[in-house]
Amino acid sequence: MTEGTVTLACRNVWKIYGPDPSALLAGGSVPDAAAIAASGHVCAVGGVDIEVRAGEIFVIMGLSGSGKSTLIRCLSRLVEPTAGEILFDGQDLLRASPRELIEIRRHRMGMVFQHFALLPHLTVLQNVAFPLQVQGMARPAREDRAREVIALVGLEGREGHYPRELSGGQQQRVGIARSLAAEPDLWFLDEPFSALDPLIRREMQDEFLRVQRLLQKTIVFITHDFDEAIRLADRIAIMKDGVLVQVATPEELVLRPADEYVAAFTAHVARAKVVTLGAIMTEGAPPGDTAGRLPASARIEDMAARIEASALPHAVIDDADRVIGHVGRQAVIDVLVNRGRG
Amino acid sequence: MTLAAPDHATASPAGPQRPGAQRWLWPVALLLTLALGWAAPLLEALPGLGWLIRVPSALVIDMQAAVRGFMDWLVNRAHFGLFTFRELTRGIAWLVDQPYQAARFVLVEGWVEGRGARAVTHFPPLSWIAITAIVTTMGWHAGGWRLAAFVGGCFLYLAVFGQWASAMVTLASIVIAVPFGVGLGLLLGVAAYLSPRFDRALRPVLDLMQTVPIFAYLVPILFLFGFGPVAALVATVIYAMPPMVRVTTLALHSVPEEIREFAAMVGCTRNQRIWRVLVPAAKPDLMVGVNQVIMLSLNMVIIASMIGAGGLGFDVLNALRRLNIGAGIEAGLAIVALAVALDRLSQAYARRSARPPTASGMSWLARNRWAPALVAVAVLSGLLGLIWPPAQSFPAEWQITTRDFWASLVRTINVNYFDQLEAFKNALLLNVMIPLRRFLLALPWVWVLALVTLAGWRLGGARLAGLCAALVMFIAMAGLWEPAMITLYLCGLSVVIAALIGIPLGVLAASGHRAGRVIGGFIDTLQTLPSFVYLIPVVMLFRVGDFAAMIAVVLYALAPAVRYTAHGLRSVPSELIEAGTVSGCTRWQMLWRIRLPMAVPEILLGINQTIMLALSMLVITALVGTRDLGQEVYIALTRADVGQGIIAGLGVAAIAIIADRLIAAGAARTRARLGLTGRGGS
Amino acid sequence: MTFRNLMASAAVVALGAGAPALAQVESSDPIRMTLHDWTGQLITTNIMARVLEEAGYNVELVQADYLAQFAGLKTGDLHVAMEMWETTGREAMDEAVATGTVVNMGSTGMEAIEEWWYPSYVKELCPGLPDWTALNDCAEVFATAETAPRGRYLGGPVTWGGFDPERVEALGLNYEVIHAGTDAALFAELESAYQRQAPILLWVYAPHWAPMQFDGEWVEFPEYTAECYEDPSWGINPDMAFDCGKPRGPIWKVAWAGVADKWPGAASAIEAFSIDNDTMGGLIALVDLEGGAVEDVVEDWLWENEDTWRAWVEG
Repeated sequence: MTEGTVTLACRNVWKIYGPDPSALLAGGSVPDAAAIAASGHVCAVGGVDIEVRAGEIFVIMGLSGSGKSTLIRCLSRLVEPTAGEILFDGQDLLRASPRELIEIRRHRMGMVFQHFALLPHLTVLQNVAFPLQVQGMARPAREDRAREVIALVGLEGREGHYPRELSGGQQQRVGIARSLAAEPDLWFLDEPFSALDPLIRREMQDEFLRVQRLLQKTIVFITHDFDEAIRLADRIAIMKDGVLVQVATPEELVLRPADEYVAAFTAHVARAKVVTLGAIMTEGAPPGDTAGRLPASARIEDMAARIEASALPHAVIDDADRVIGHVGRQAVIDVLVNRGRG
Repeated sequence: MTLAAPDHATASPAGPQRPGAQRWLWPVALLLTLALGWAAPLLEALPGLGWLIRVPSALVIDMQAAVRGFMDWLVNRAHFGLFTFRELTRGIAWLVDQPYQAARFVLVEGWVEGRGARAVTHFPPLSWIAITAIVTTMGWHAGGWRLAAFVGGCFLYLAVFGQWASAMVTLASIVIAVPFGVGLGLLLGVAAYLSPRFDRALRPVLDLMQTVPIFAYLVPILFLFGFGPVAALVATVIYAMPPMVRVTTLALHSVPEEIREFAAMVGCTRNQRIWRVLVPAAKPDLMVGVNQVIMLSLNMVIIASMIGAGGLGFDVLNALRRLNIGAGIEAGLAIVALAVALDRLSQAYARRSARPPTASGMSWLARNRWAPALVAVAVLSGLLGLIWPPAQSFPAEWQITTRDFWASLVRTINVNYFDQLEAFKNALLLNVMIPLRRFLLALPWVWVLALVTLAGWRLGGARLAGLCAALVMFIAMAGLWEPAMITLYLCGLSVVIAALIGIPLGVLAASGHRAGRVIGGFIDTLQTLPSFVYLIPVVMLFRVGDFAAMIAVVLYALAPAVRYTAHGLRSVPSELIEAGTVSGCTRWQMLWRIRLPMAVPEILLGINQTIMLALSMLVITALVGTRDLGQEVYIALTRADVGQGIIAGLGVAAIAIIADRLIAAGAARTRARLGLTGRGGS
Repeated sequence: MTFRNLMASAAVVALGAGAPALAQVESSDPIRMTLHDWTGQLITTNIMARVLEEAGYNVELVQADYLAQFAGLKTGDLHVAMEMWETTGREAMDEAVATGTVVNMGSTGMEAIEEWWYPSYVKELCPGLPDWTALNDCAEVFATAETAPRGRYLGGPVTWGGFDPERVEALGLNYEVIHAGTDAALFAELESAYQRQAPILLWVYAPHWAPMQFDGEWVEFPEYTAECYEDPSWGINPDMAFDCGKPRGPIWKVAWAGVADKWPGAASAIEAFSIDNDTMGGLIALVDLEGGAVEDVVEDWLWENEDTWRAWVEG
């Protein structure tokens, strides 16, 4: 993972509901959970700091009530945070005037919703063209652009249909197409696949990854499904009770969960899908002959067959082709059956 | 009409819980009331206690003069620098008149020069064939062949029974009043949605618009908007608009949160958000409001005709003045036909807007191949009408009538059964009505004030108690105590009887599909048939007086009791029914133990609506000589006394609001106890 | 429209066109005349409207409430109201005339009668009628369960006034006054009683179709004088006023004050309009009892009485 520029950063963001939330934070001190509850307030987001880098898929994962939905709404300023800063390409969103906010949202942000939020009275084409229509783009231009994105999500031929005539998966494809129509830099997806059947969900995840490989957007993706997070994320932020528990790559989460809570999620994850050779190799030069050279960033799942097939260990190399360690059959089998280490 | 504000349902039932005292509170209050009613004449004789029994005259203030002064100022002197208030309203009247004249041109008159025998028609209005074809096609378009046949049948009734010309006059005003009512209601509803403060200010105004009888503000409207159809249109819009405002605000609030967020995320401005996203997304709900506006506009047909709208309402009034009962019934049924046809059409369009359009992806003309055919029918029937008049207007020789049948029916009943009816009436009158009336009039006013306030406190806490007390005090201070108590007696008794008839009918309607349809048709007819039509036969059979008035009120106010009961019973969750079936309930047990108790909140809302309708009938019952608030309003109208009319109208509104708030609070409590969420009603 | 009527109206049109003697009209703006909801008024107004049209004026007929119309007459929204009854409209008319914006255009020539009335068959039960002194002997004949032992007199709507409760008290009548809310209710009860040949005593007025359709008589009270209503010592009861019958009075025409300036010719025609009770009674009968259309009845009358109405226009 390369360290890119930071597109979206939030610093010490709070969202507290209740009779007088700002008074709680007025002193500059950080209130604890007990004090907040005692004063009749509810803390939905408590002092969150995150940085989303350009081009990465940043997944915020949490169970219901963890504050992840409120957080993404703070990031997009759909909900006004009680305190904190949200910097989008260096500009503080919380200081943006309504007019500026409208401009930012029209051209630089897109959002996909859990229940699609399609307009029932518009056709697929009109729905997808809607954000452009709002900007005041002329009809032929916006419809051309809409057709492009509809093709991108594989819905050609359905332009004239109404949302209710489509399956759930198709509706969400419309939602995705619509959020991309205005070519945003920053793409919010709020549990986009949660309302879909498991099979469709998987297909949509693949579709999403395909689109992302093409477009390379900066993405904030919300989910309550840890497997989904692992599949899609470059980095994952785990939230609990409004607070960030851990922010890490999927591999780090699995290998070094910050606490019991995170460990409980990772316990049942097929680690071979997450862990790379680099994480299980024995450092240093191989003791004898090797069966071949494998990159450290490769996932075990993909390399397992090769390593198991050979009695000799494989050398592990870094990006610069230097041998940095070696890995043998036994280490791979340990991971596959979830034994030891970790 | 629905007064119940949406927040009633969610308001948590306030009021302290004291199980012991609670059980005894109302029985004790009832006993005390009975004792006081009986003893009041004795107490009144005691020195120094009179002010507790009768409203002391020192308390009564002359609000009428203030209203009169205000109205005089508004009508004659108010101005905004460049123009006076009246010039403003006259300007509005002119604006409304333009589309109205256009509608008349198309539906009624065409282009005619001269009048009466000298009239020369340059251009005919749409022929009866064309209009029937248009509405039938709309029926087909909105709801298929069945609806097309129904709507076409209704319009054929108008032609065959010789009601065409008047019906088109009425239709022309409906066609104008409804868009104005819907448009204005939509704008106000949107404004209330955007600004909670405006919403709070608007609500009591809407309550008043729905409960103050129209007669009360008819005279100022005539002053401000001039004489003729436009004033009638304005009155119709005022009366028919409030449900649209409420429905709009509610519908916008219930648009899914995600849709609202979506609007923000694509960078909609406020106007784009409202008009491009929220309003279209709320369209199916909004159509419910449109339907209400149509029905209420048709309820206004009679009163509108009194101030110049003409049409079917005028025919009804005119026929009944001549005691031509048959003609009155036929014209009345024409109003029913028009109302039911428009109602079914608008409901079908509402359902249609919630469905995906079929055959999408085709051009408009390809999807609507009937459109050119329709234009052809309209043009051809018009051209044919030039050489063969029956194609233009339905010829008199083909018309049929049932007038003699109705007249002889009433005559037969009158001649043969009057004595039996009279005996029944006398029994009820002497044993129930007159004693009740005496009792209520004898009750000390302070006790009534205390009782209503107590009810408010028990059901809704301090705020409701305060509101109730203030409204009762208003009635007392306006010097309306006696007519208000007579109103209470007449409406109260009518509502009880309507409930006794309506709830079993509702149970019956919910019991089977066919029974539901038959009863539904009966109820629709009763609600849209102008009450004047049955008021006159009722007077013939029961003489002038409270009894005739009560029958008219019961007939009119029956509908919601039936509808809400049936709806409440039908919407009991199916798991509960299944649970009952599994535990071996008989049909009766199912009804008594499961369905009725679960339907109580809904039935209470039905009773609430019944009360509202009963109160709105007061002005009509004044026409058969009651002495209640309705009569006060009516007298004020005939004397053109704005002050008296508006104050008495506010008295009616005060009673309506007390009843509405108390029952809504009671329904909310019951619902909370049953663990039901959301808001019932239709 | 029957063939005869068609011919008649064609002829009227021809007459109108062929009569150059008619004056030039002062303004072609329409004169707005009010229609109410009783037949006599519709006939009166339609006759006047047709006559004015013959004279070349434009006329517009507007539906309006009998008393609420004063609001329009004062502002000039409405121009002419053809029937304002002395007996029911006097107060409102006086109030309007006092403002200076409405003027009384004189009598229509018809006289309004309002009085207690009973069907003829009641005389068998109460032979002393029509003299009012017989009423107390027959109180039980007219009594109902509600009013017994007192007799029941069905009065007009409260708004008609008429001082019936005062009359009952002043003349010592053993009767209770029940107010009907509207005249439709009033005559509905009459029709019902008549069908059953049951006794009834009620307020009836003329010109109206009811006293023509139903056979009956007015009760004869001591004759009305102005003093009777004002001076308690006058009449049978030395302590109370109203110990006499009801006044009879003209049916007036009223108009917006501006009519005379804007359409002087029309104003003088309206002032000249006159028709008597019997003629009107006949016309009302043609409509209400024989089912004719108002327009046809009016055209026939115009055809047959051309001299009469031409004199209004030309005089």
